[in-house]
Amino acid sequence: MTLFLLTGIMILTYAMLVCQRVPALIQNFRLQSLFLFLVTLDFAFRQKEAGIFVVAGLLLLVKVVLIPSFLNHLVKKIRVDERLGLFLNPLLSLIAALFLTWGASVFCSWFLGTSPTAVFAAFVVSITVVLVGFFIMVFRMKALTQIVGLLVMENGIFLLASAITGGMPFFVEIAIAFDVFVCAIITGIFMYRINKVFTHIEVHRLTDLKG
Amino acid sequence: MKASLLLLQAGIAVLGAPLVSGFIRKVKNALRMRQGASLGQPYYNIAKYMAKEEVVSEATSWIFRWTPSIVLGSTVAALMFVPVFSFSLSAPGMGDVLTLFFLFSLGRFFLALAGLDTGSAFGGMGSSREMFIASFVEPVAILSVAVVAGHSASPQGGLMACSMGMSFSGMVAAAALFMVVLAETSRIPVDNQETHLELTMIHEAMLLEYSGPSLAMLETAAHTKQLIWFSLLGAILWPWPVGSSAALSDIAAAAAFFVLKIVLCAVIVGLTEVSLAKMRLFRVADFLGLAFLFSVLALVISGLGY
Repeated sequence: MTLFLLTGIMILTYAMLVCQRVPALIQNFRLQSLFLFLVTLDFAFRQKEAGIFVVAGLLLLVKVVLIPSFLNHLVKKIRVDERLGLFLNPLLSLIAALFLTWGASVFCSWFLGTSPTAVFAAFVVSITVVLVGFFIMVFRMKALTQIVGLLVMENGIFLLASAITGGMPFFVEIAIAFDVFVCAIITGIFMYRINKVFTHIEVHRLTDLKG
Repeated sequence: MKASLLLLQAGIAVLGAPLVSGFIRKVKNALRMRQGASLGQPYYNIAKYMAKEEVVSEATSWIFRWTPSIVLGSTVAALMFVPVFSFSLSAPGMGDVLTLFFLFSLGRFFLALAGLDTGSAFGGMGSSREMFIASFVEPVAILSVAVVAGHSASPQGGLMACSMGMSFSGMVAAAALFMVVLAETSRIPVDNQETHLELTMIHEAMLLEYSGPSLAMLETAAHTKQLIWFSLLGAILWPWPVGSSAALSDIAAAAAFFVLKIVLCAVIVGLTEVSLAKMRLFRVADFLGLAFLFSVLALVISGLGY
């Protein structure tokens, strides 16, 4: 079961690189968070710890409901062009991601030695998610994708923590969830202001402002 | 004994295959809050075609007349190479999964020729699109099945599903294969079964000139092909080693599991079809490129032994 969910996260992570529009990317992030929630729920049922259930519920509330709807609201409000602006076309991005996953899996088999399939899969998938989040931040033009990329990286780190170490302490998880939410809101407002002042949110054009 | 069981299995599968299509339609209609046609609608359609007179254009050659038999024959033959009810029943010593893909391409080759044969614009367009998509689909299908076969150390469909446990590479290969199944059974992101709009149709365009019993044969072949793909996908996704012996109770248990797997596959396909929009033809290259990438990824992971 865990393997199914992990493969689902992997597929959605790759699908993110094929997205060419902002709403599609946000929807994809929402689905990825939903799968992450299911993984956490599965984990909670196996550990039988009340704290993990709360963390899973918080994940559902913040990352599946609140942040994506806030981002969607933001996209509607700033009314910019919906296209992401790709520095690298979908197929090349996918090939790059394949190399990232290859590196991750080689690293995992070197780091973990022989391990159960579920542990290996969780490790590979989480490192891939982190790297792909980073990739999205670097190779997409719209500043909105920087938020999404950051959130995707955070998803990866969450998965890594819960799969390898059995989850971070309860209060740390709650603090991180609120941190992420506040971070998304602040960068969202920031984006709104940038759009008001410069009438676009394209990162490569913002670099012209440096003196 | 064994041969008769094998034929019986093939017969049941061919007879049951239209039900799967009807079930998928039912699932889609339920998701759209519609009543929809009854489960047996594909059967009624086939019965209707059987009763009708056949019209063959004078401009066609023998290819047009022979194609329905070739397509149906090759598809039913392909049924022997996948695990259906019992893994012990799939034909040993006759070939492996590559034979399966060969039989599929034999049918596709003749169907594409028949589409061109009548000289109508639609048929030719459908053939050219079918070949365009096939050139993406076949490498993905072969590569992802090869990964699974390598993991279970057997290239034969039945034995493959029997000796394989759940593996990470198998799951990723199944993801690739699922996208292939969507393309091969003319489902929504690639093709649309529900419409005969000239801009979107691929598979239906090739069948456009057929009528009567020939059309019934081609439809039966399409339903059967869909069942074959589903059973292959089900065997990789849920590799429960049941029915490895020829005992009757084992076969019954395997048949029950098989029905469950097909129902699951049908529900997943129905859900996907309702939640996606049809892609432009040239975006299909991206879609199947993603599928190819997953199969390469499965190869990478299986290379590390997972």
